[in-house]
Amino acid sequence: MRTVHPMPDQSAVTPLRQPLVTVDKLTVDMPLGRSGSSVRIVDGVDFSIGVGERVALVGESGSGKSLTARALMRLDRLARLSGRVDFDGTDLLKLSDRDMGRLRGSSIAMVFQDPMSFLDPLMTIGDQVAETLRIRGVGKAEARKRALAVLDELGVDRAAERLDAYPHEFSGGMRQRVVLAMALVGEPRLLIADEPTTALDVRVQDQVLDLLDDVSARRGLAVLFITHDLGVVAGFAERVMVMYSGRIVEDGEVASVFAKPSHPYTQGLIKAVPRIDQDLNTLYAIPGAPPPPLARPNGCPFHPRCDQRFERCDKDLPALLQVGLSRVACHLHDGQQHDRHPHDRKGA
Amino acid sequence: MLAFRAYSWFLGRRLGLTLLTLWGLASLVFLMIKLMPGDEAQMAAGADASAAQIEAVRERLGLDAPVIMQYLSFLGRLLRGDLGTSIVTLQPVLADLEKVLPSTLELVFIAMLLNLAVAIPAGIVAAYRQGGVFDTTSRITAVMLGGMPAFWLALVLQYVLGSVWRVVPISGQQGYGMNSPVVTGAPTLDALIAGNFAGFFDTLHHIILPAAVLAALFATQIFRTLRAALLGVLRSDFIMAVRAKGATARHMLVRHALPNSLNPVLTLSGAQAGAMIGSAVLVETVFARQGIGAYMFNAVAQKDAFAVLGSVMFIGTVVCLVNLIVDILQLLVDPRIRAAQLGSQGQ
Repeated sequence: MRTVHPMPDQSAVTPLRQPLVTVDKLTVDMPLGRSGSSVRIVDGVDFSIGVGERVALVGESGSGKSLTARALMRLDRLARLSGRVDFDGTDLLKLSDRDMGRLRGSSIAMVFQDPMSFLDPLMTIGDQVAETLRIRGVGKAEARKRALAVLDELGVDRAAERLDAYPHEFSGGMRQRVVLAMALVGEPRLLIADEPTTALDVRVQDQVLDLLDDVSARRGLAVLFITHDLGVVAGFAERVMVMYSGRIVEDGEVASVFAKPSHPYTQGLIKAVPRIDQDLNTLYAIPGAPPPPLARPNGCPFHPRCDQRFERCDKDLPALLQVGLSRVACHLHDGQQHDRHPHDRKGA
Repeated sequence: MLAFRAYSWFLGRRLGLTLLTLWGLASLVFLMIKLMPGDEAQMAAGADASAAQIEAVRERLGLDAPVIMQYLSFLGRLLRGDLGTSIVTLQPVLADLEKVLPSTLELVFIAMLLNLAVAIPAGIVAAYRQGGVFDTTSRITAVMLGGMPAFWLALVLQYVLGSVWRVVPISGQQGYGMNSPVVTGAPTLDALIAGNFAGFFDTLHHIILPAAVLAALFATQIFRTLRAALLGVLRSDFIMAVRAKGATARHMLVRHALPNSLNPVLTLSGAQAGAMIGSAVLVETVFARQGIGAYMFNAVAQKDAFAVLGSVMFIGTVVCLVNLIVDILQLLVDPRIRAAQLGSQGQ
């Protein structure tokens, strides 16, 4: 039996460190064609990231994790954002485009999934890395020198000779280093990594992760790491946030969430990771699929797939509440009295 | 050194292909001469030549030889730059073209400048603000201009700008007393060379309307092509990466989005340069300008077959050369094409 510590006080969420980013009731709406209507992909998300903290944001494709990350930098031109994104005391959503542009690359930088498609095929590697600095008026020779220094630091061999090479002349792992160098050269305080290892093969994945681990520790970088790979989360992050259907459903220290996941969705995700010490004939998968954002069910969006649901689950949307050291959005943990005999899944 | 060899190998191949195309064109032109109804010797000798005169011409032109020999000597003459003799002017067609061509090149050059100077910025703004007011109005304008017959546009502009508002001359190449000594044959250039600035502005004043009419149709094509290419590129991932670096919209558009959208525009404008020389026929006629268009128009009107075919041959050569230049430009723009065409040593 789970022990429930109802602590509805939101201020208890404050991380031990001084917060660098505080996101409050962030919503992201994407327009639907030219109809003027829109669909809410991210639905009132709040969290904070401390100075130098590494946070993983996990969820299935379509859960809104990438759009949440892009919203922090206001990268989607079409997205309509509301809420607050507090970075070091300024609300990013209220900045002018020009001021937001100044922050991008220098305060918050981003590493992307597929390093090939995120590099301009017509520009040399050296120019693309130096560009972050050149935009800010750094002289050509100086920018090139600093670009070379970062590429060297990231272990791009013969970097000096290859500054004038083009992306198509680099291997996948090397390209990812270039993309990382592009992000680091502006010396940001927060690095958003949007599935930076997904497109790479396993051996290169490990190299890139080690590298990311290394440089972020050395520079005291806060990292928001977006992934659907729980193995990566365990090795890299201190805290993990689980997203489902545009909301955060669980947020806590990696060790405690992995040891004792509270939300049935998190439990399912962890159960679905194949383990080498288990001898199974079939791998576990959470039944069903996430709801499309236009047809979210009433109540908890996870309830149609949940094996522990009960009466309230299809009526009330659970709030994200403090439960022990974590935050959880589930009626099982909201501290209210209820009949706890989950009814059987119909037809399943 | 290796790069030099790779480049000359590429150029050699492209030149070979160009020559092959020209040979095909020449064969086609020869076929057209042979397939034309009527007797060639009769045409060359003139409508009221006597039978003896016609036979003399037939012998002089080698028309009594077998067709294959005629074909070979036709190719031989082409190699020496002999495009045939005009029946009307009795001059070699090439000599006639040399006189009228600079004027056309000047018109086409200015029309091309106008075309790109209007269509490229318009395409950029329309794509960046897709669905906005500028995008909508410029797309409607492009459809209207693109669907409008050029001669009609020319007549309307002549009436409104030339006759009602009187801001530009209706026709001609220069005003009275504005002539400069002929050096190149292109009036604006000649005026510049002579240091005749009043004459220079006068010729520009005359060329602006015909160049605009010539540019209009082509500008709508460039606009649509660039807009479509840009829309695709603006959705691509690396544009987001550039924005994440903190680039301004202007920097992102000019340094990244535009170069990546230029390939189809380059190909199209190459084809347009040739088509513009063809379209000059109409514009030069309507605006009473000298040039290859007017020359061909007169040649057709006077059934001067050799002048027409010689001009066709000549325009075809220009188109082939322009395409060769476009191929080289594409090589300079895109390192991936460079790698594919030159091999790894081209880097």
